Amino acid sequence: MLEGHISKAFDGALAGLHIRIVEMGGLVLDQVREAAYAYTEWDVEFAEHVLQREAEVNAYDASLDEEQLTLIARRQPVAGDLRATIAMSKAVGELERAGDEAKKIARTVMRQGRRPGAGSSRDVRHLGQLAVSLLRAALEAFDRLDVAPAFEVIARDGDLDLEYSAGLRRLLTRALEDPRHFETTLETAFVLKSLERIGDHARNLARHVCSMSGHAEQAGEPTAASRASGLT
Amino acid sequence: MDASGTPEEPHRRHIGEGGLNLKPSARTAASGSLEHRAGEKTLGQISVENAVFTCRDVNVFYGSKHALRNVSIDVGRRQVLAMIGPSGCGKSTFLRCLNRMNDTIAGARVTGSIHLDKTDIHDKRQDVVQLRARVGMVFQKPNPFPKSIYENVAYGPRIHGITRSRADLDEVVCTSLQRAGLWDEVKDRLNRPGTGLSGGQQQRLCIARAIAVQPEVILMDEPCSALDPVATARVEDLIEELRESYAIGIVTHSMQQAARVSQRTAYFHMGSLIEVGETDRIFTNPRHRLTEDYITGRFG
Repeated sequence: MLEGHISKAFDGALAGLHIRIVEMGGLVLDQVREAAYAYTEWDVEFAEHVLQREAEVNAYDASLDEEQLTLIARRQPVAGDLRATIAMSKAVGELERAGDEAKKIARTVMRQGRRPGAGSSRDVRHLGQLAVSLLRAALEAFDRLDVAPAFEVIARDGDLDLEYSAGLRRLLTRALEDPRHFETTLETAFVLKSLERIGDHARNLARHVCSMSGHAEQAGEPTAASRASGLT
Repeated sequence: MDASGTPEEPHRRHIGEGGLNLKPSARTAASGSLEHRAGEKTLGQISVENAVFTCRDVNVFYGSKHALRNVSIDVGRRQVLAMIGPSGCGKSTFLRCLNRMNDTIAGARVTGSIHLDKTDIHDKRQDVVQLRARVGMVFQKPNPFPKSIYENVAYGPRIHGITRSRADLDEVVCTSLQRAGLWDEVKDRLNRPGTGLSGGQQQRLCIARAIAVQPEVILMDEPCSALDPVATARVEDLIEELRESYAIGIVTHSMQQAARVSQRTAYFHMGSLIEVGETDRIFTNPRHRLTEDYITGRFG
């Protein structure tokens, strides 16, 4: 849907933008995997690596921003091209924020508090796997500009939200049983929240794929309710 | 799908084996096939509430060539209708139907109905000169008469008997030049030849000449294609002002210009009116594949 312009340079510019966003997505996916791993295995080295690489994510964000502005200024895209350009710009935003959540998780490990208990680790690992799988599926949909898997991601985000709520309940139960480690419990809650947010970013990324392909209505816009799901 | 939390592969490998699928076949945005079938209905709203022109099933033949096919569309009062499409799509042919300019072309035949207000412009009692006073025209190349600036504007009102005295005529010339945004530039040299003005000024002089006879509609055929960007911006600004009093139909090859100046846009392709709609919608969400492909620069 990005090709076929009389101006081959325009084709190239749009496709180049697309490829670089997919690259950025791969990097963010790694950040999320490593951050979740660092927390569940309490691995400082991995956490450090995530924090170091955060600069790379930001560099992608900044240069893609610049490329998009240049494309708009030089090509004045309209209709589907304009939709695609804006959706790509929003996709970059989602990835950047997902990367931020990974950074937050890594920081929790770097603070070197008390290692979470086995139950908490299990919950984080489980939610982490769900978030990674969702983000990966969203990226694949974005890579191929394929709406079918994008719709699937949107539907599956609900599962992640349910798991998040369940994990939070288990966490609270454990905290009531043993209030000595309340601080650790709170940290775990924030990590779970970050993973839930990463799932939301994956869902939004999938929505942008739908809007690029002219299926915005079916994908539905993010609502206040879907955003507020969680700690309430 | 491996979704384990252990990070070990380089990030590129996570992204599936499909690679970048950017084939045009993946495009699903706009509906309609690439080949426009004859007789296919125009997409979008062809009628408007406050129509000055009502055209239904207009066909134009140049000899055996079928140049315009079943075009039905309204032109609304106090709004700009932009007509876009590749060369030879029929947009200028359609524009020329509205003041019966095709009458002057040998072998040209027009069928269908075109009503200006409630009157059929092809009615036997319709005086063509009178029609052209009500429907003014501005052309691609500025074409002032080889006369003074004053006479260029005064010519129409004089032959149509709009003014009774010299003072009246002076008044009409002055207001027409003012409305065309040219007065301040020419007020001290009204007796100099119109052909001595710059291209942009000449075009605004032609617009002043068109509005001097108090038309209802102004038709413009590529009015800015011979002008530089500054003169173009002036004319576009003028169009925006004139819209408050007149209906305007503009044929343009510049998509950006259509997007800037018009409220409605009509897309023509091979003699057919493919799609018409609010300009805001056409340029963000066209319904027909042909419209989308044309405005995004995929063919034309």
